[in-house]
Amino acid sequence: MTDQNTKQSQKYIFIVIAVIIAFIINPILGFVAIWLLAMFSGIRKTKFNSFKSPMSFIDILKTVQNLSANQKQVQIDDEEGGVPSIDVQEQINQLLIAPTNKLLPSPITVLGFAKKLEKKKKYLHIALNSTLQEAQEIISQLPASERILIEAGTPLIKIYGASAVSEIKSMAPGAYIVADNKCADLAAREVEIMANAGASAATCLGVAPVETIDSFIEECKKFGIDSMLDMMNVDNALMVLKKLKNPPDVVMLHRGVDETEFSKEKQIPYYQIKQIKGSYDILVAVAGGDTIKEVQRAFFNDADIVVVWKNFYQPNSQTALLAKEFLKEIE
Amino acid sequence: MLNKKTKYLQIAFNRSFDEVREMIALLPASDKIIIEAGTPFIKRYGTRGISAIKEWWNAKIQKPGYIVADLKCMDRGLREVREVASAGASAATCLGLAPIDTINEFIKECQSSGIDSMVDMMNVEFPFEVLQKLKHLPGVVVLHRGVDENNTNKSKQLPHNQIHRIGGTYGNVLISVAGGETPRDVVRTFFNDADIAVVWRSFYESPDKTAELAKDFLKLVK
Repeated sequence: MTDQNTKQSQKYIFIVIAVIIAFIINPILGFVAIWLLAMFSGIRKTKFNSFKSPMSFIDILKTVQNLSANQKQVQIDDEEGGVPSIDVQEQINQLLIAPTNKLLPSPITVLGFAKKLEKKKKYLHIALNSTLQEAQEIISQLPASERILIEAGTPLIKIYGASAVSEIKSMAPGAYIVADNKCADLAAREVEIMANAGASAATCLGVAPVETIDSFIEECKKFGIDSMLDMMNVDNALMVLKKLKNPPDVVMLHRGVDETEFSKEKQIPYYQIKQIKGSYDILVAVAGGDTIKEVQRAFFNDADIVVVWKNFYQPNSQTALLAKEFLKEIE
Repeated sequence: MLNKKTKYLQIAFNRSFDEVREMIALLPASDKIIIEAGTPFIKRYGTRGISAIKEWWNAKIQKPGYIVADLKCMDRGLREVREVASAGASAATCLGLAPIDTINEFIKECQSSGIDSMVDMMNVEFPFEVLQKLKHLPGVVVLHRGVDENNTNKSKQLPHNQIHRIGGTYGNVLISVAGGETPRDVVRTFFNDADIAVVWRSFYESPDKTAELAKDFLKLVK
């Protein structure tokens, strides 16, 4: 233990000296060094978390939820009265760590750690919309890659609440999780709930009032998560973007203006991708990549992210297969 | 189901689980009060939250209470409707901004699940036009401005003028007006022929005054 500590402290001393030297040589180099250091420590942190994170714990989900609700209550009490909340926190920690021993039959997939989306990289965004059980099945079949984003779909969030996000996060530790909360109003509250549940990004509707979208983007920045603007039923995405104070991190385009699950024949407005990327330095996601051909076409047309919906009538293996083909394609 | 001849007060709850339980316990027992599980509440607690609210409110008024699940459906609403209906909701909401297909399917699904459909006209410039395009009319049309937009721009009025237009053409549709914050607003809402007045802010901001507020508001509901 002490040996490890000395090793650790030696490492820190070395880093500090390196930074000082960098500053002496060139202040800019110094800042670069600090930035690199921050990046490195961020990655290490997610790596650490991913190993500590538990497996699925559907059976004790309710207990944890109750406990966290209690904990929040206690925290509120804390602010007012000053009651310690250590007990509840401990219980939660125990519950979170305990189920790792009772492993589910499927092996856990440790997906890569795309903490923030990078420009010039292509991503496959898999939207899970049916049940948490099925989400677990699909996630266990997915290849491990930082190019795969996992979405907790709107129905999942509305049915399971914010725990849908934290559950999926625990099934795919370290993965980039999108909470498709489709915010229409009260953006500040929704972003807070999703960020606290562990989401790496949240979504807001492009048809929502401009004030809501502005507040959504601002709150996402505050909580350090990516903001995605869903342009469903929006005639002209560029017009919406122009009205905003700041652009979102990602814009999501759908086939045609009134694409729904009932009308699939419409074409994705590929020309809008270039239009948007020409005016804004943001990522563009395109919804509706059901086959590898569609996925290829979207990327060929400059999309950064292709969204694949996993509906509950489709077999799980189909989604996993698509993910594998996608990874082969981008290599 | 709601009665066209009665005026209702709809109270939206968005605070945490325990706070909502306490607040519901403080409300006067009246079947003229409709309890709404707000969108942030649903997104935080899921259908479990709706069942809990239903249970608390039923226990309070000693008969099945009326619970609205403010789903604000945009797409893929079918499963959401089924799930909230089985969780005990009496009505669900869909955005008027959603594709017409989605709203049509939403209304159909609500009918087959045996709950009321509410179409939320937030940020819809001409609610009338949306209604004209629908295959079937919803049970309730909700007229209001978004909370976020109201915070930034207070000058715009509640859309009272729309009530008569919609009420005159579609006699069977109930009209709900959200955004009233004071008893005065609620009086004005009912005076302008709305059937349901939705309040939330005063309750959200001062949960300790829930009982007084509800009694004040209830006096206005005849």
